[in-house]
Amino acid sequence: MSKIGVFVCHCGENISATVDCAKVAETAAGYDGVVYSIDYKYMCSDPGQSLIKSAIIEKGLTGVVVASCSPRMHEPTFRKACAEAGLNPYMCEMANLREHCSWVHEKGDATTEKAIDLVRILVEKVKKNHSLNAIKVPVTKTALVIGGGIAGIQASLDIANSGHKVILIERDPSIGGHMSQLSETFPTLDCSQCILTPRMVEVAQHENITLYTYAELESLEGFVGNFKAKIRRKSKSLDEKICTGCGQCTTKCPVKKIPSEFNEGLGKRTAIYVPFPQAVPNKPVIDRVNCTYYIKGKCKVCEIVCPTKAIRFDQEDTIVEAEVGAIVVATGFTVKQPDFFPEYGFGKYPDVITGLQFERLASASGPTLGEIRRPSDGKVPEKIVFIACAGSRDPAKGIPYCSKICCMYIAKHAMLYQHKVHGGKSYVFYMDIRAGGKMYEEFVRRAIEDDGVNYIRGRVSRIYEKNGKLIVKGADTLLGAMPVDIDADMVVLATAGIANEGSEELAQKLHTSYDSYHFFSEAHPKLKPVETNTAGIFLAGACQSPKDIPESVAMASGAAVKVACLFSQDELTREPLIAVVNRQAAPVFSSCVGCFLCVSACPYQAIEKEEIKNRTGEVIKTIAKVNPGLCQGCGTCVAFCRTKSIDIQGYTHEEMYSEVMALLNEY
Amino acid sequence: MDELRKRAKELLESKTISVVIGYEEGTCNRTRALFVEKPEEASKLIFDSRCVLNLATYITKQEVKAKGKMAIAATIPVMRSIIQLAYEFQVSDKNLLVLGITPESNLMEFKDLLEVETYIHKFEIEINASYREKLDKLAGMTQTERWKFWIDELSPCFKCYACRAACPMCYCHRCTVDFNQPQWIPVPSHELGNLEWHIMRAVHLMGRCIDCDGCANACPLGIPINLLNKRLLEDAKRHFGGYQPVLKGDHLMSTFKPDDKENFIR
Amino acid sequence: MADFEPKIVAFVCNWCTYAGADLTGTSRIKYATNVRIIRFPCTGRIDYMLLLKAFDEGADGIIVSGCHPNDCHYTSGNFHARRRWIMFRELCDFVGIDINRVLFSWVSAAEGSKWADVVNTTVTRIRELGPYTEYQKVAKHPIREVTNG
Repeated sequence: MSKIGVFVCHCGENISATVDCAKVAETAAGYDGVVYSIDYKYMCSDPGQSLIKSAIIEKGLTGVVVASCSPRMHEPTFRKACAEAGLNPYMCEMANLREHCSWVHEKGDATTEKAIDLVRILVEKVKKNHSLNAIKVPVTKTALVIGGGIAGIQASLDIANSGHKVILIERDPSIGGHMSQLSETFPTLDCSQCILTPRMVEVAQHENITLYTYAELESLEGFVGNFKAKIRRKSKSLDEKICTGCGQCTTKCPVKKIPSEFNEGLGKRTAIYVPFPQAVPNKPVIDRVNCTYYIKGKCKVCEIVCPTKAIRFDQEDTIVEAEVGAIVVATGFTVKQPDFFPEYGFGKYPDVITGLQFERLASASGPTLGEIRRPSDGKVPEKIVFIACAGSRDPAKGIPYCSKICCMYIAKHAMLYQHKVHGGKSYVFYMDIRAGGKMYEEFVRRAIEDDGVNYIRGRVSRIYEKNGKLIVKGADTLLGAMPVDIDADMVVLATAGIANEGSEELAQKLHTSYDSYHFFSEAHPKLKPVETNTAGIFLAGACQSPKDIPESVAMASGAAVKVACLFSQDELTREPLIAVVNRQAAPVFSSCVGCFLCVSACPYQAIEKEEIKNRTGEVIKTIAKVNPGLCQGCGTCVAFCRTKSIDIQGYTHEEMYSEVMALLNEY
Repeated sequence: MDELRKRAKELLESKTISVVIGYEEGTCNRTRALFVEKPEEASKLIFDSRCVLNLATYITKQEVKAKGKMAIAATIPVMRSIIQLAYEFQVSDKNLLVLGITPESNLMEFKDLLEVETYIHKFEIEINASYREKLDKLAGMTQTERWKFWIDELSPCFKCYACRAACPMCYCHRCTVDFNQPQWIPVPSHELGNLEWHIMRAVHLMGRCIDCDGCANACPLGIPINLLNKRLLEDAKRHFGGYQPVLKGDHLMSTFKPDDKENFIR
Repeated sequence: MADFEPKIVAFVCNWCTYAGADLTGTSRIKYATNVRIIRFPCTGRIDYMLLLKAFDEGADGIIVSGCHPNDCHYTSGNFHARRRWIMFRELCDFVGIDINRVLFSWVSAAEGSKWADVVNTTVTRIRELGPYTEYQKVAKHPIREVTNG
C-alpha cells in the first residue's frame, strides 16, 4: 500500500499569491494513499528539505510529491533530499505549481483547482512509480581517434597525456593532414610545418599512442565505453619493422610521373613513395594502382635496391580488432576542385588553381621550392587574381554555407604573393570580408594597406583565355557594378570547403548523424558542439564544418576532455530512464514477438536481437533487447510497439495511464 | 488444380516438405484450410474462386511450424502477407516454400521469397470499385454522421476476435486488447470499447495490412471493419506514396522523412 | 452552456514544449486555466491510445505539442510522432472523432508566448464547439459504469 507524502510549497509568495496552498495540501490529504500532506513557505530551503526528509523517515513514505516549481528547476534537489532520507529518488515527483499555474493565472478558485489537479496527477503517478537504480556501464579506457590531421593529432596527444591509451588511424601513408600542406599560417605568418612536425613526431613517439597509418575503420559495434572497432590496415607492401626509411627505393623507382597528392597534383611522385620529406612515419608505401610490378608483373627495382630487404609484394591487408571506450572523429574536409566551376573553365586552364594548390606553390617544400610560378609554363605571374566564395555562399551550387576560412587565407595568399613577387599586382574579388577572430581583421587590413592588395567587392562572371592571359570578367559593386576586366597570369579560386570523401559512409559505420552537406552533426549546435548523438563518439575539426587551425585545435582539445571525463571513472553512471523489453516466465519469455519494427524507429540503434536458448543451446525465441548503453530514453519505440512489450522506466504505460485517469476522473 | 495436387504429393513423398497448406471442400459450399501431411491426402486439395481465406494466418502458428518445413498454396494476397511476415522475421526460406497461384489459377512455384517479392511487386494493391464507393460515401458525410455510422456498425460487435484470428498480421502472442495493466481497452463489448478495439487494430495494421479482406470476411456480423484499413491504405498512399510488402527496406510507420508534409501542426 | 469550462489535456515533450510552458511562467504571460499538462520525455513517446483515453475520461479538447522539426532532443522522435499523427488523425476523422478538438503544435523552449497562444486558441475553439458530449455519451455506457464500479 502506497504511503504518499505531499509537500506544497508557497515559494515565498510566488505560488501562494494566486494559489490557496493550504487548500491544495488539505485536498491532497484526502486522496487514497496520501498519509501526509503539508504546505510550507520554502520547500527547497534547508528546513523545507528537512521537513520532507523527516516525514519520509517518520511516516515511512513510499512516495513523495513536491508541489512547487518546475521539475526542470528543482527535481535534482528534491530527489537528492529523498535519497538522503533513504527513499529511492525516482519515487519523488514534482507538480509544477509555479511556472505552469500560479505565474500564468490570476488568483481564484480555478487556479487553485488546477493546482489541485496537478498534484493529483502526480500522486497517482507516484503510486505506480518503481524504484530505479542508476545504470552502471564499464569503460574501456582506450580512445580511437580517426584522422591524423591537426585535430586528430591534438586530440590524440591530449588524451594520451592525460594517461589514457589512444589508437590513431590515418587513411593516408602519413599523418599531418591539410596543415602539413600549408605554407604559412594566418594571422602570424609562421611556417605551418615548423609548428606541426614536432607534434607529428610526438605522436609517433608517445608511449600511449598506437599509430596506424594507411588504415581505415572497417566496422564498429558496441556502445559508449564498450566499442569494438575493426581497423583495416591497408597493405603498404613493406615490412615496416625492417625498413629504415633510407629512401633508396623512392629514388630508384622508375615510375616517376604520378601526380603527387601532397602537392595537389602540382608535383610528381614515384610509385613507391613517402608523401613528403617530413612524413610520419617516414617509411614508404607502394601505390599498387601505379606500380609497374602490380600492373605488368615485373620490375621489383625497389626490392633489388632495398638494403634491408623490407619490400613485401605479397603482403595483404590486415584487420586489427580493438576494444575502445570512446571515439574522436577528426576526418577533416576537402575542397571543391576547379572542374566544378563551368564559369571558370571547368578546370581546363592549368593556371586556374585552388587555394590549396597555391599553398603548395608558396611552400618552401613545394614543387617550386616556394617560388610563385604558374603551373603552365613556370612563369612568375605578374598579375594574379584571387576569387573568394568559389562555390561557397552559393545556393545555386548547392553550397549555401560560408566556408569560413577562405577570407583569411586569401588575404594570406595575396600577402605572400606580394612578399615574393616584388612589383606584382594582386586582386581579390570578394562578397564580404569575414575576418572575425583575434588579430584577423588587422591581418586583412595589413594585406590591403601595407601590401597593396587590390580588394574588389564583386563577383567574377567568367574566366577565359586570350593571348596567353586569363581574362577575368568581374564587377565592382562598390562602383555601381562597374565591369572590371583583368588580364591575369594566374587565378586562385578559394573553392568551397566540403565534407571529405566517404564521410557519409563513415558516419553510417559509426551510427552517427550527418547534415545535408555530409558534415558530421554535433549533438547540439551550441551546448554540445563536440558530442555526437551517439554517446561516446566525439567530433574534432573540420569534419563537422570548415574551420581554421586554432578552432580545430580547440575543438580537438574539447573532444579530448570529453574523452578524459568519460575515462575518469571505471564505470559510467547513467539515468535509468531508458526503455526495457519485458520478460516473463517460460514458455512465453516476453510478450515481444520479435517483429523488430522498433529497430528502425529507434534514433540510437539501441535495439538489438536477443536469442533465448534452452539448455541444449537451441534458440527458442528471438526478442528485442534494448541496449542500456545506447538508449537515451526517448520512448519512440514504446509508443510504436504493438504488443506494448517495451516500456520506458520513469514514463511507463501504467504511470502515464494513471496520470490521464487522475486528471479527468472526479474525486 | 491437378498441378498443385501433383506437386504437393511429390514434395511430401520426397520429404522435402512436412506439411502443405491449402484449401479443401468445406460445408455449405464453402472451402476451408487443409493441412496435408500424408502424400495420399494431397488429392483433397482444391482451388477455385471460393478460396479467399488468407492461409498466411497459419504459417505463424506454433503448432503448424512445429511440423517442419511448410509449403503453402498462395494467391497474391497471401503472398503479400508472407512477404510482410518475412520482413517481420516470422517466416523465412528456411521453413517455407511458396506454391504460388497466379490470377489465372496457374501454379507457380517460387525458388525463394526473393522471387515471391519480385513477383508480387508486379501487382499494385488496389481498392476495388465497390469499396471505393463506400469510402467516398463516408468521406462525404459530416463528422457526426460518420460517428453515428461507426457507432451503429460497431454496437453489435461482441468482440469475438474473429477478425483478429483471421488476420495473418495479428500473430502477436499477447494482443494489447488482452493487456490489463493498464486496461487499455474496456473488456465489455459496448460501443466505446468496440470502437477503441477497432481503432487500435487499424493503427497496428498501418503499413502492414495488405488488403486481403480476411477480417471483414471473418466477421460473423458482417461489420465492414476492413473499411478502416482501406482508408488507411489510401492515406498512406496520399501522404507517403503508399507501400508494398518488402523483404528489406523501410516500414511505413517506423521511418520518416524530414520533409513529411502535414497541414495541421501549428 | 454559458458556464461551460472545457477540460483540456496537454501531452507535451519534456525538452521543448514543457520548457516553453515554463518560460510562459517565468515571463508571467497569462493564459486560460483549463489546461492540464502531462509531461512525456518526447513526442515520440506519446501513445495514441492515451489520446483516446483522455476523451474517454471526459476531456473536451487535447493539445499535443513537442519540439519543432529538427529540434528534437532525441534527433527524430518528433519526426516519428509527426508521421504517426498524420495517419492517426486521418483514422480519427474517418471514424467520426472530432479532430478539431485535437490541436497539434510545435512549441520550442523559447516560445513562451506561443504556448499561451496555443492554450488560449484551443480553449476558445473548444468553448465554441461545446462539451464533447457525442463521445462522452458513448463513454458513459451503462455496462462500463457497472464494470468501473
